[in-house]
Amino acid sequence: MMFRRLAAPMLLGTLLGLAGCSGPLSTLDPAGPSAATAALLWWGMFAAFSLVWLAVVGLWLYAMFRQPASDDPARARRIEKRWIIGGGVALPVVSITVLLAYGIPAGHSMLPLPLDKGESLEIHVTAHQWYWEVMYPESGIALDDELHIPAGKPVDVHLRSADVIHSFWVPRLGGKLDAVPGRTNVQRLQADEPGSYRGQCAEYCGVGHAHMKFTVTAHTPEDFEAWKRQETQGDD
Amino acid sequence: MTDRDPDFSDRVTRLERVWANLPGLGTLAAVNHTTVGLRFMVTGAAFFLVGGLLAMLMRTQLALPEQDIISPEIYGQLFTMHGTVMMFLFAIPILEGLGLYMIPKLIGARDLVFPRISAFGYYCYLFGGLIILSSLFLGIAPDAGWFMYTPLSGEEFSPGPGSDFWLLGITFVEISAMAAGIELTVSILRERANGMSLSRMPLFCWYILAMALMIVFGFPPLILASVLLEVERAAGLPFFDVAGGGDPVLWQHLFWLFGHPEVYIIFLPAAGIVSTLIPVFAQRPIVGYRWIVLSIILTGFISFGLWVHHMFTVGIPLLAQAFFSVASMLVAVPTGIQIFAWLATLWTGRVIFSLPMLWIFGFLVVFVGGGLTGVMLALVPFNWQVHDTHFVVAHLHYVLVGGMLFPLMAGLYYWLPLLTGRMPSESLGRLGFWLFFIGFNATFLLMHLTGLRGMPRRVYSYEAGLGWDWLNLLSSVGGFILAAGVAVIIIDVILHLRYGRRAPRNPWRADTLEWALDKPPPTYNFVSLPTFRTRHPLWEHPELPESIASGQHALAGAEHDRRETYGSDAVTGKVREVFHLPSNSWLPLLAALSLAVVCVALLVRTYDVALVGVVAAAVFLLRWGWVNGAHPGMAPLSNDEPTDPPLHSRTTDGPGLWGMVVTLMANGTLYLCLIFGWVYLWTVAPEWVFPEDPRLPLSGMLVSGGLLVIAALLQHRAAKRLAAGNAAGLQARLWQAAGLGAAHFAVLLWLTLEAPLEPTGNSHDAVLLMLLIYLLFHGALAALLTAMQALRVARGYIGVRLPYEPVVLRPLWIYTTGIFWLGVVIFILLPAGWAP
Amino acid sequence: MRHRAVHPAHLVLGLVVWAVWFVAMYGGLSVACAVAPPPVADGALTWVNGLLLLLTAFTAAALLYAAWRCWLAARAEDDVSGDARSRFIPVVSATVHLSAAMAVLAIGVPTIVLPPCP
Repeated sequence: MMFRRLAAPMLLGTLLGLAGCSGPLSTLDPAGPSAATAALLWWGMFAAFSLVWLAVVGLWLYAMFRQPASDDPARARRIEKRWIIGGGVALPVVSITVLLAYGIPAGHSMLPLPLDKGESLEIHVTAHQWYWEVMYPESGIALDDELHIPAGKPVDVHLRSADVIHSFWVPRLGGKLDAVPGRTNVQRLQADEPGSYRGQCAEYCGVGHAHMKFTVTAHTPEDFEAWKRQETQGDD
Repeated sequence: MTDRDPDFSDRVTRLERVWANLPGLGTLAAVNHTTVGLRFMVTGAAFFLVGGLLAMLMRTQLALPEQDIISPEIYGQLFTMHGTVMMFLFAIPILEGLGLYMIPKLIGARDLVFPRISAFGYYCYLFGGLIILSSLFLGIAPDAGWFMYTPLSGEEFSPGPGSDFWLLGITFVEISAMAAGIELTVSILRERANGMSLSRMPLFCWYILAMALMIVFGFPPLILASVLLEVERAAGLPFFDVAGGGDPVLWQHLFWLFGHPEVYIIFLPAAGIVSTLIPVFAQRPIVGYRWIVLSIILTGFISFGLWVHHMFTVGIPLLAQAFFSVASMLVAVPTGIQIFAWLATLWTGRVIFSLPMLWIFGFLVVFVGGGLTGVMLALVPFNWQVHDTHFVVAHLHYVLVGGMLFPLMAGLYYWLPLLTGRMPSESLGRLGFWLFFIGFNATFLLMHLTGLRGMPRRVYSYEAGLGWDWLNLLSSVGGFILAAGVAVIIIDVILHLRYGRRAPRNPWRADTLEWALDKPPPTYNFVSLPTFRTRHPLWEHPELPESIASGQHALAGAEHDRRETYGSDAVTGKVREVFHLPSNSWLPLLAALSLAVVCVALLVRTYDVALVGVVAAAVFLLRWGWVNGAHPGMAPLSNDEPTDPPLHSRTTDGPGLWGMVVTLMANGTLYLCLIFGWVYLWTVAPEWVFPEDPRLPLSGMLVSGGLLVIAALLQHRAAKRLAAGNAAGLQARLWQAAGLGAAHFAVLLWLTLEAPLEPTGNSHDAVLLMLLIYLLFHGALAALLTAMQALRVARGYIGVRLPYEPVVLRPLWIYTTGIFWLGVVIFILLPAGWAP
Repeated sequence: MRHRAVHPAHLVLGLVVWAVWFVAMYGGLSVACAVAPPPVADGALTWVNGLLLLLTAFTAAALLYAAWRCWLAARAEDDVSGDARSRFIPVVSATVHLSAAMAVLAIGVPTIVLPPCP
């Protein structure tokens, strides 16, 4: 019995492991511009830092087991300077410079800045223990735990909290942003393709935290308009 | 042979008698650093096992999806207590204990400068830890996460006593951290062996000095935050509550203003162990001593500029986040310098690869990994994705276990022969290492991927099929391998006590002075105090152990039947005074017990009992202050006093003055945090309002402040004239200063009671009330201590030959005056000038 | 004559200046955005960024000057005593001041590209 309980996830795990990074909540399976940028940053850093890590560990091992060739103090001093200035100062400074050159514009691109053309859709989300109250201010549609958005169009989620701090996160679409009592934070999301994307609360908010989930459904623009009409019908 | 000389062996016996702990239960009155340091470390290790057990329970729950072994309520307590125990009851105290234990041995001193404070700190730690732990057994442990974010940790959303256990217990434990911080700072600066200039100091001392100073500046924000939150919970003063004009993000700022430096408070001493061990096992001096000192200073400062990187998702302007992002990455530079200095040392040395070096290697592998993911996390757009996921859980374990536990284990195996006189076994030790190392990486390496695949931290359960199943199972299996490793290490240490081979005098051929001691080290450390001429005493003078033990150096024996060691110049290390140190005392235990009563009484909210505890603690602490200087229990005046160098209480620049200044630096940090809270709520809190009418009449404040200035000037004059050798009218002047201080207090108290404050209604009045309480406390304290000194003049404990004590109080008076007027400017004048 | 820049306070002075500068940058930005946020459309070309950059440049220049003074002190110490040990404090101080200046410049750079308040 135990074996079968273990076997299924193991098998599934192996398959998923081979598949790499997909998953309904995986940041490595991006479906929007913000998440794609973040995933790209990850892969770049992962590749570069893996090399750094391997190099440092390798050098360390070599340094421990090598026999120093001579006791010439002048030579030793040259080696010391080389390692400290090259490895200790230059390596981090170069890495940081490159990282920031990519990272700061990347962060800037995720901000909810005014668009060059058109308007973004505004959705109000209020976090409660333990559900998400969703409101469309222009149409008056109100929902719980589900958002509907048009694909290919930026959406600004205005986040508030009714009780404690929560964090709004749709991993495949973009980063997370906290819902803090007394403030309104604005998170820009965009889904490239129609589909269903899962979201969850990322900041511990009490015993219901693990189950504070929601979905974001992206429609084609036409379907989105149809959905809006359907939702508003009968309301007024 | 000198050690056969009966006269000399009498002197050693006398030295042993003077420095001995009391027999039987009297050992609880012990104050010497060897005993107290060991107690810190053993207690810390016990708390580590408790924290580890909690982790095992969590890993059991998460091993498979949708398990319900543990309810979400209990799971909340588990992760909160795991973090709390590991951070506050294991990592910090055990490293403080290591510092307390090692520092005097490394700098050639017999004890720390304030031995009773070490003992007091230990008892505060022990009692506070037990109080926090008791909540777990009562099933009412704190459950809002170890960083206790409000409003979740507030009265409304955590109505039970859980949060109170955390806030009160941790504040109690922090007394011990502050004590160790002050104690170690002053000891390292003022107690080094003759000739040990700053540039000859072992690197470990630089690391511990940085750690101690970081504690001094890093803990006050948390102490303030904890006090404010507890007051909000117990009395309803809104500091973090939005409706009352507070802001929950203020808690986060104060918490992380402590919380990030804290990571380096843990890392620096551990890096100190690495810097101590690597040259020993590479058989050559460390490469780049000055580079490493530079790195330590840089780390100490820059780590205070990173705290917002824990708050990147709060909604702070991106430019502000960028400042913290760059600062977070910059801290990689000093770390890189150290790693490559260590690498260069190994490169140019002839390395002996034994068990401690295996742990150092583990440290490198794990910590460099954690450091690199740390740089990733500092990048804001990436942080927005992985913040609060298992990626962060993996990262922080790589940094903390890699950066602290691995070096600590290396240090344990390295110093074990010193503690016990026996060598650890190589074989069982290696097995323990490999189990630990493999288990650790199995648990945490792929946990990065779990986080990238979207698993948030602090969930008690998860759905199957999200791609997290096998990763979690692997982590749980790894966790149990890790636990097996810990078990093997414990068995190894216990077995070595009995079967370990006897250790030679200097088993690792180390260069530092602690290996000149007998094993286990006697409570007085050194029979005679050597002079330093080099950074590597035992390499350049291998005869030192002999000559120290045979009394060939200074201050051999205990001629005056009191505990003595040398005090020296902070920069050059030239001897300046003889410090006479207190012997065994029950006062630390009694004072800590009284505070434990206060803590428990506040927990169950019986405030009259708490008041009794406060009074009892005050009595014990004042008594403690009384048994000082020329008191018969310490160093009474006599006719055969040493004059070259003199006793410190016969000078005007002893350790007490240094201790006072360092304490006031910590205190000032607390005050600045209060001002920060004021300005922050004023500019940021959405519901903040200034009341219509001023709460305090400016004229009344001017009167109260004027009295304080005159009192401080009188005290200053008294201290100055006494230092110049003029004791005429000293007692009267001190009484006048105390009286005026009391008048200042009375006026301020009257103003406070008369002020139309509504502290439970709005945060403006709540913060103002905290300021007034703070000012009142300092006014009362300065007046009370000065009155006590006036009495001491009458008793003959202060006088022309004993000019020391008024000088110690002078900074307190200056400080009290400073905070009063700064308070007037920032809390009264600034709003009046700014607000419409 | 002993140079004044050999005082051990220089070991930390540069970074104390750095810390004060850092608080001024973060505090100043936060207060500016709370009191009078410049329009988002202006991007990084606002009076807030200008003031922060000016502060950064001034602080970095002061720290570089201090580093140079400590360096001179170290060389002077060499001539006076010829003992490498007495150079310890001024040499480390000079590198601390230099590092603080570099940290100021590095942390100040984002002010050139990012808008102040969003």
